[in-house]
Amino acid sequence: MWREPWGGRLSSPPVPGAKARTAGLRGACGSAKKTRCIMDRECSQLLPSVCAVLADSRQLVADDTFLEKFLDWFKTLTETESSLLLLQENPCLTELITCVLKLKDPSSSTLSFILRLTGIFAASESCFQYLQQRELLISLFGEVGPLSSALWEEASVRSGWVQGVHSMVQHQSALHFLCSCGAIEVIFTLQGDPSLFVASAANQLLVHMLTFSLQSFQTKPENIKDCDWPICAQKLIVHIEESLKSNSASRIKQSLKLLTSVFGCCHDLWTEVLWSRLSEPIVYLLEEEPVHAGHSLVDLFLSMARSPVFSCPECSLWTSVTCALEHLNPAQVGRLAVGVLKLQECPQAVKIQALSVLLQPMDCVLKAASQPLEYPGLLNRSVNDSATVETLLSCRSSCASLLCQTLTHLEELQYLTCLPVDLPHIPLLQSVVTILQFCIGLATPASCLGNKISRILIGCFRVQRSALDILGALSHWESPSVFIGSVFDILLAYLKSPDTSPTVLKKSFQATLKWLVSLSEAPSSKDHWQQTEQFLQDLFLVLQKRLCSPYWEVRDSALEFLTLLVKHLREKEGFRQVLFSSEVPKLTEDLLEDPESYVRASAVTAMGQLSFLTHLISKKPGVENGNVKEKSIVAQLKEILSTDSEGFPRRAVISVFIDWLREGHPDVLKDTEQFVSSVLQAVNSDLDWEVKAGGLELAEVFSAQLLGRLGLAACPYAAVLSSATRSTHLSESLQIFCQVKLFEFLFGALCDCDRPVAQKACDILIALKAELCDESSLKEGTSAGLSTEARGIAWLEETLRRWSSCAKPCPRGDADEAGSQDPNGVLLVLRTVDLEGLHRSLNRSSDHIEKSPQSLLQDILATVGTLEENEADCY
Amino acid sequence: MPEIKVTPLGAGQDVGRSCILVSIAGKNVMLDCGMHMGYNDDRRFPDFSYITQNGRLTDFLDCVIISHFHLDHCGALPYFSEMVGYDGPIYMTHPTKAICPILLEDYRKITVDKKGETNFFTSQMIKDCMKKVVAVHLHQTIQVDDELEIKAYYAGHVLGAAMFQIKVGSESVVYTGDYNMTPDRHLGAAWIDKCRPDLLISESTYATTIRDSKRCRERDFLKKVHESVERGGKVLIPVFALGRVVFATPGMLHAGQSLQIFRKWAGNEKNMVIMPGYCVQGTVGHKILSGQRKLEMEGRQILEVKMQVEYMSFSAHADAKGIMQLIRQAEPRSVLLVHGEAKKMEFLKQKIEQEFHVNCYMPANGETTTLFTSPNIPVDISLGLLKRESAIGLVPDSKKPKLMHGTLIMKDNSFRLVSPEQALKELGLGEHQLRFTCRVHIQDPRKEHEMVLRVYNHLKGVLKDYSVQHLPDGSIMVESILIQATAQSEDQGTKVLLVSWTYQDEELGSYLTSLLKKGLPQTTA
Repeated sequence: MWREPWGGRLSSPPVPGAKARTAGLRGACGSAKKTRCIMDRECSQLLPSVCAVLADSRQLVADDTFLEKFLDWFKTLTETESSLLLLQENPCLTELITCVLKLKDPSSSTLSFILRLTGIFAASESCFQYLQQRELLISLFGEVGPLSSALWEEASVRSGWVQGVHSMVQHQSALHFLCSCGAIEVIFTLQGDPSLFVASAANQLLVHMLTFSLQSFQTKPENIKDCDWPICAQKLIVHIEESLKSNSASRIKQSLKLLTSVFGCCHDLWTEVLWSRLSEPIVYLLEEEPVHAGHSLVDLFLSMARSPVFSCPECSLWTSVTCALEHLNPAQVGRLAVGVLKLQECPQAVKIQALSVLLQPMDCVLKAASQPLEYPGLLNRSVNDSATVETLLSCRSSCASLLCQTLTHLEELQYLTCLPVDLPHIPLLQSVVTILQFCIGLATPASCLGNKISRILIGCFRVQRSALDILGALSHWESPSVFIGSVFDILLAYLKSPDTSPTVLKKSFQATLKWLVSLSEAPSSKDHWQQTEQFLQDLFLVLQKRLCSPYWEVRDSALEFLTLLVKHLREKEGFRQVLFSSEVPKLTEDLLEDPESYVRASAVTAMGQLSFLTHLISKKPGVENGNVKEKSIVAQLKEILSTDSEGFPRRAVISVFIDWLREGHPDVLKDTEQFVSSVLQAVNSDLDWEVKAGGLELAEVFSAQLLGRLGLAACPYAAVLSSATRSTHLSESLQIFCQVKLFEFLFGALCDCDRPVAQKACDILIALKAELCDESSLKEGTSAGLSTEARGIAWLEETLRRWSSCAKPCPRGDADEAGSQDPNGVLLVLRTVDLEGLHRSLNRSSDHIEKSPQSLLQDILATVGTLEENEADCY
Repeated sequence: MPEIKVTPLGAGQDVGRSCILVSIAGKNVMLDCGMHMGYNDDRRFPDFSYITQNGRLTDFLDCVIISHFHLDHCGALPYFSEMVGYDGPIYMTHPTKAICPILLEDYRKITVDKKGETNFFTSQMIKDCMKKVVAVHLHQTIQVDDELEIKAYYAGHVLGAAMFQIKVGSESVVYTGDYNMTPDRHLGAAWIDKCRPDLLISESTYATTIRDSKRCRERDFLKKVHESVERGGKVLIPVFALGRVVFATPGMLHAGQSLQIFRKWAGNEKNMVIMPGYCVQGTVGHKILSGQRKLEMEGRQILEVKMQVEYMSFSAHADAKGIMQLIRQAEPRSVLLVHGEAKKMEFLKQKIEQEFHVNCYMPANGETTTLFTSPNIPVDISLGLLKRESAIGLVPDSKKPKLMHGTLIMKDNSFRLVSPEQALKELGLGEHQLRFTCRVHIQDPRKEHEMVLRVYNHLKGVLKDYSVQHLPDGSIMVESILIQATAQSEDQGTKVLLVSWTYQDEELGSYLTSLLKKGLPQTTA
């Protein structure tokens, strides 16, 4: 039924002569001025058959990703070329739409696809008129179309309809069409759709329609009155207003969400007029008891507060925000408070109130834990009714979540570069420590509320995690010794406790690290250092135990902590002494043989850091075995690099070696060339692409260091060498590169089947070529017998094979002239391989052919008829 | 009314990107966190913004449960925990926890290496994510918090695959993940006890298929291999690296070893490639399965495929029979289908509703299914009360429901049924008796005490089996019912009798009242 009329069209796909026709059309419609990125010939030949498949209700396109990718392609096409031309040159597309509309029983996915496709085309005004003339738009988006069919029950069809309309709204004609065909009312209904996806898309569509219809108003701000607004905008605003005044919680939430997006994405002056019209019903919502749409109101106020339109201190928004801070439930209000505190422009009084709101639960906790009048508390006066907060804290279902939220919000504040209000950080620190004490059963509360909180919080991982996060963040404030002592005590309690879960332990380590780093960097660090050293001694005892934990997660977190600790505190003599008087270094070394590869990798990284210290220690008189030990570490790591069966430890070794080379580790400096050569040799045969990429980075660092050392690095401020000296240095460096078999390694990596490896090798080789091959002296030396023809990978592979076969039978050194260690031979290869060409092809992703539109079209065609045979049979 | 809500963010009427949100008794659980093989952009992961609109993820979600290590069930996990910001507990079985990072690493490698993406989760993120995972044993009940508990059951399918029961109070949901009801050579069949959940969420990949036995398929497979080898050809079997037999990977011929061999062997018609599973659009596997014979390879080369191409399903999913069998085993009050195609689900849904008389749902992605529950409330019974019931002579039968009477004490979040006496004693309360009193008017001109005597005689005559007494104070007792002549009426010929009884003797009290209302017999007059 379908294929017949198509037969004729299929037999005459676009032909070369079409160009003339195209030019004529372009002149006629005058809309395609851009350079055209035309659908290629192969695609336009395949397209009619694909359309025929899609229009045939007997053919199932089971894989929805086909249609999604098909639409993606059309989106790209219509962005780069005229949609109208696309339709005119490929009449099969219009036929497809017509035909699907005529089908008695189209599949929901096909109908949804057609709605979206038509929307994409109708985004262009000329194309919109073209489709309108054929009455396709009214048939698809009007009341008689899918809207009234049984398929409307399918969420995918409703979703396609909304997305189609959304794409279309790019010009006023589309808005007029939608207003006149009753589509707006449909969208209003879809706001409350049972499918989250459809409801959300409908809401976004209304936002788009409102902002689009008012776009032209931004030029004449003084005349803005909502009574003059376009019909479409007026309809929308009346709808929003009615929803806000309705008693339906869901309608109110939808409208608040819509307004949140409008104020969030549009900062034009008309938004102020909109607010002045809607503020009354919104403020009314705040006065209800209890407030139902709390979360949505918070979103709305935050989105408005971030808009420059409302930033002036006299703006009525701030009155509403103040009202919200007073009326909203403590569980809802925290987000608003922290959002307000993050604002640049906001009245100070509102900020102070917001901070009080955030501190209130902490104040309650502090008071509940202590004897009356023992602590001054966090607040001079309560902003809200503290009884509400106390009730929430004394109830099992709300206590943990209120505290987690509050702690997280207060933590966010710690990272602000400048806090606009004074934060009482000492009482805050006390309250956080108190919560951590509650959670581990260390607090002896004096009040009834304290007892209740204590019972609820004991063993609560959620609160433990959030409290440890903020405890770490509070380390950047200067604190008196007595409080530092209480922080150390609680941290040790968590680090020691057998009940601490692995995730909580990790947070404890993180908080400990932050405090230690902060204390070591603080101007008053000397005052606290004795206290800190005492803590470090206890800490290393715990760490020893944790490094022997039966859980790999714990051993790993302990190693990661150790690595960072050493990295940050290695300059502290006291730290080094405590570290080396403990069993920690020995245990770390033992973990190089851990059964879990993640742990082995972390042990490698930790040993990499520790070895810098071991070296410092070994320099001192009286420490004799350091050097021997150090050697064995290098050897151990090299052994891991060549023998470990899993990738993570090998990747860790190569990262350590890169650091050592960069930072000038004493053992590397002893014989850098030998070190690099042996590492590259080990990496060369590695199958893991990330180890290889690490090897390449090592090679890059090494070559840059060598060229720099010889004054050859590309530094604009470096003294310019005379050409003779430069030439000598270049020969020298080339000689060294050849000795360490750098080029053999780089060329091998260039042939690697893992693309990032080849890509990186190519980058390094191009840089080296620029450095080494531009010298005329070198050119002369290599010009004899040189073919100018650029060679590809096959030639390179053959060359490498020849090099290795030359090298094999001869003892080391004898094969220099023939193989990879001959500088002239290397330069010859470097100049012959088409590095630039390879660079271009490597920059393309390796699935670019399968991702191409031709491939997609072929796949759709090929799937026809095979679906029943090959049932979806996923994994 | 208590309700359970289920919203699939993925796997709702489709296959791939499994991610199902369940709200049960105020707890929110995410079941699986998978990725979609068919996309390279945002669409590969579930759209988590629908959860974040409810505030912070970690505050909203109580836990994430991963059913098994396949990427369409766990591929988005590091993204969710390390990039979107979920910081709460994640549960999976021990084998899943051991194998999951290997697959995630492989996925990262393909994405970063092959496609050159940079903004993707890193190895460190995968490790950090795995460190948050709490590994569980089969049949071990895990207490996520005071109210929420989960329990894993064996699911077959692949090593470590599990079905999970999620329970809050007496309400429960079972999520099957992918499962297999027929054992194969190295894995057994899924099993669950008769846990009667309020809802069973089942995969339905093979909703309409009843498959031939594994043995037949194995025989066919071997036959094809033998024939090809006898012809002097070679056989390539690209496979998924984990969970099934290893031949050459990857299974969809999209890169690596299997693709290299394919290129070498494709030109010889004696050779054969056997595709044992599903292939995503855009892969060479997909192309040859759908019959394409000329493939464009890198560098504009055209590869002509002359070798034979065969498709044999060895996938380990339950077929329609298996799904029905699992429903029979678990006896759920309702069923919800995910991880399948809409049309096939529709068919199975009808079958389930007909056979088991339970509601069956199949929400699309983004659609919320709400079902109302009537949770059972467990009550402890005092031993004294039980003994009293058995003394009455009723033999206890664990399978039959039994009606018990007693006093329900609701205290400290627990419910206990005790005898009324014990309740009074425990609560330190005195007993009050409630009596009903009714006035009965009797036409009798005689003196009061004579009239009472007449009533006494009348009752004694009618109620031969009851104890009827005439008390010294002039009142009459019939069992516990008290009858007194009282207050004069204005009319001398009418006397008023007060009949009073406790609610336990309601029946006798009403009977006496109606008896007296009929008046006294004339003969005695």
